Amino acid sequence: MAATTESVKADAAEAPLLNVKNMILGSLVYLVFYAWVRWYEGIYGWSAGLDSFAPEFETYWMNFLYIEIVMEVLTASVLWGYIWKTRDRKVMSITPREELRRHFTHWTWLVMYGWAIYFGASYFTEQDGTWHQTIVRDTDFTPSHIIEFYLSYPIYIITGGASFFYAKTRLPTYQEGIPLMYMVAVIGPFMILPNVGLNEWGHTFWFMEELFVAPLHYGFVFFGWAALGVMGVVNLEIQAISKLLKKDLA
Amino acid sequence: MSASQSAVRSRAEAIKVSRTFDWMICFTLFFVVLGGYHIHYMLTGGDWDFWTDWKDRRLWVTVAPIVAITFPAAVQSQLWWRYRLPFGAVIAVLGLLLGEWINRYFNFWGWTYFPVNFCFPSQLIPGAILLDVILLLSNSMTLTAVVGGLAFGLIFYPGNWPVIAPLHVPVEYNGMVMTLADLQGYHYVRTGTPEYIRMVEKGTLRTFGKDVAPVSAFFSGFVSILIYFLWHFFGKWFGGTSFIKSI
Repeated sequence: MAATTESVKADAAEAPLLNVKNMILGSLVYLVFYAWVRWYEGIYGWSAGLDSFAPEFETYWMNFLYIEIVMEVLTASVLWGYIWKTRDRKVMSITPREELRRHFTHWTWLVMYGWAIYFGASYFTEQDGTWHQTIVRDTDFTPSHIIEFYLSYPIYIITGGASFFYAKTRLPTYQEGIPLMYMVAVIGPFMILPNVGLNEWGHTFWFMEELFVAPLHYGFVFFGWAALGVMGVVNLEIQAISKLLKKDLA
Repeated sequence: MSASQSAVRSRAEAIKVSRTFDWMICFTLFFVVLGGYHIHYMLTGGDWDFWTDWKDRRLWVTVAPIVAITFPAAVQSQLWWRYRLPFGAVIAVLGLLLGEWINRYFNFWGWTYFPVNFCFPSQLIPGAILLDVILLLSNSMTLTAVVGGLAFGLIFYPGNWPVIAPLHVPVEYNGMVMTLADLQGYHYVRTGTPEYIRMVEKGTLRTFGKDVAPVSAFFSGFVSILIYFLWHFFGKWFGGTSFIKSI
């Protein structure tokens, strides 16, 4: 297969507009993986995650951290690299049907982004509150942080990045320039990860466990607002899809 | 691309495609807004929302509506003003509550063993319904901000009353008078136990009667009006479709 897709193959026109199986499978991958992660937390959080100086902490938690970081860098490189490498160089000359098909694939990515954001920003972030108000931390790399900051956040960053790159490399709608709100919706939540630097720096100075609403956490809040950029993405997409369907829906 | 070519083969397929996109868009919008709203809410009003012994008559009543009206205002600015969908506030709040309930059950209870009747989330649905109904009936951002924002603050405490009232009955424990919610807090000690961090309800006005909750709700409603305006315009900005040439 050529590294770069030069044109749309004729048989592609016969492929289904939306690959429902892929979408369900993708959603299940997130769900099952995170269910397993939650099980792991439940078992090894209490049995091996209370004292960061204990040998079992190294075994069950630090090794988890090292493995996940390597896996994330690899996944991001391969996935983003693949999407970029196989970009369509004649994106403006695709047929309307192919464009519609690509919008569906793009939305499959966005559905995954919705899933990933939910688990990262909602599920594992509030979980952090109850863990740290119960188990006082003695390290920056607590069981809760190893999952929240260094697993669930990178996963939504990788998913959001893939979605953005897909749109930029395969959809005519995004060839005008860089869609500002798409950038906000992806880069904003991404910035939550670098903001961990501020968070950890603050936690090494002050005992902050009493207040989840402590001002030290407001960086997360600010970048969390950027998730609203998804409304701009939705508006852009609705304009593009309406244009494609307008004649047939009239 | 040729303008004469069609993306679909029939009107029926066009309708099917349109409906399928609707579902995918709703799913994504719901969960991304849920994520953003939840991280905002838990880190600006979370402690008051986490524990019953934080749910007092003053600070909880003041803080929660002010920080909660943000995303509903922003989502309304798109769903109503662009698509005439009159449920922006309710859908945002439903998202937040879903995220919170899942968390309180699976994590607060399931991981750290706090009983759910100690860590259930605040109720925000009545205020959200008011915001949506006022916008639907008035079609006015200003009226929604002023009347809806005020109502959002005022109705918060009564809206939570049915669930919080049983925990605010007085009990005597070791010679001290306290509420059942306080007692729950003593039994489930956390780093955020309010007495430990001096976040207890205090003040002079309560000396003269039971005015604390209504006055707090009124103040909260006042600030909610201002926050609504601000976040309506944030929402409009976030809904933009502009492109930039370079980064």
